[in-house]
Amino acid sequence: MGLLTQLVRGLVRGADRVSPFTSKRGPRSHNKGRGAKKLGVLTRNKKFVLVKEMVPEFVVPDLTGFKLRPYVSYRAPEGSEPPMTAKQLFDELVAPRIERDVKDGTFDPNNLEKYGFEPTQEGKLFQLFPKNYVR
Amino acid sequence: MRLSALLSAARLRLPPGYRHSMWPPDSMAARLRNPPGQRRRKVFVEPIAKDDWKVFKGDTVQVLAGKDAGKQGMVTQVVQARNWVVVEGLNTHYRFVNRTAKYSGTYIASEAPLLLSQISLVDPEDRKPTEVEWRYTEEGERVRVSLRSGRILPVPPQPRQDGIVPEQWIGEWDGSRGWGDVVGDTGGQRCPLACTDGPKDTSEEDALAKTYRPSLKTFEEEIMDAMGIVETRRAKKSYWY
Repeated sequence: MGLLTQLVRGLVRGADRVSPFTSKRGPRSHNKGRGAKKLGVLTRNKKFVLVKEMVPEFVVPDLTGFKLRPYVSYRAPEGSEPPMTAKQLFDELVAPRIERDVKDGTFDPNNLEKYGFEPTQEGKLFQLFPKNYVR
Repeated sequence: MRLSALLSAARLRLPPGYRHSMWPPDSMAARLRNPPGQRRRKVFVEPIAKDDWKVFKGDTVQVLAGKDAGKQGMVTQVVQARNWVVVEGLNTHYRFVNRTAKYSGTYIASEAPLLLSQISLVDPEDRKPTEVEWRYTEEGERVRVSLRSGRILPVPPQPRQDGIVPEQWIGEWDGSRGWGDVVGDTGGQRCPLACTDGPKDTSEEDALAKTYRPSLKTFEEEIMDAMGIVETRRAKKSYWY
């Protein structure tokens, strides 16, 4: 009705040419998708075979006793912590262990894997570079 | 183009000859007085740019002309469209409110708006009227400076657009306390739903609690370890350009 009143007021004449022509507009016979991906393969007999690996599955941990909720109370003050950097992560986790080993005299520069060093990203499920997971 | 632009504008769009009054444009009183299609004689105001506006709610100003000339008061309302400033308790006239058929109404004092030319900002330490200018400090902050003494006039903290005062916000509220407490605390907001946390709000302590433990695993790897998911298959190598 809002569209009609504006047409009646004489501000705009004619159909709306600018808004995208989605599946919500047009006659009943107008069937249009909204860009969902195909989750399988169409075989030569025109039968669709679902590939289970392409179906997204949400892995949700158990949230009992989880205190955070969608919105935050107005009483909480504004502000945020600075984002975590690689240097900060190293300083907090790896540097103390290396210092301790250097003091004990057991530091081996050829065996850095025990501090979390990864020489290659091959063979990992979640590779950091090039990033192969969606966050 | 015109229709889409009209539909997408979320802000209240006022007609070109709208007569601004002391009520906000989306209140019932303003909508009764300004029905759509009404055209009134134009009110001429001195054009002042939005950046040059110097008087804000909560400022102390001195009235220079009118019945209460020479008195100082706090600004309670500002209507930039008409260069109006309403000062608490000054420039008042008396009227009856809440009239019914039998009751003649309560006789109260109501403030009339003053134009910017009848108002002057007041130096914070002198407490005398001064001319004020917008200038920039060494750090690059834009402040109001009194021209006579060079003192900075800090802009008073402005209330939020949605009318919520975080200091008066009550956190978790179970129905055990009576409504009398709520009214007293919030000084005006009657309904406890309007000033307490709802079921989807995180409480203040939970929001500020620091529970992050840094680790070298990614978020997804941590969840897999926590839930005991083992994934030995690896994705085939793919190329993108």
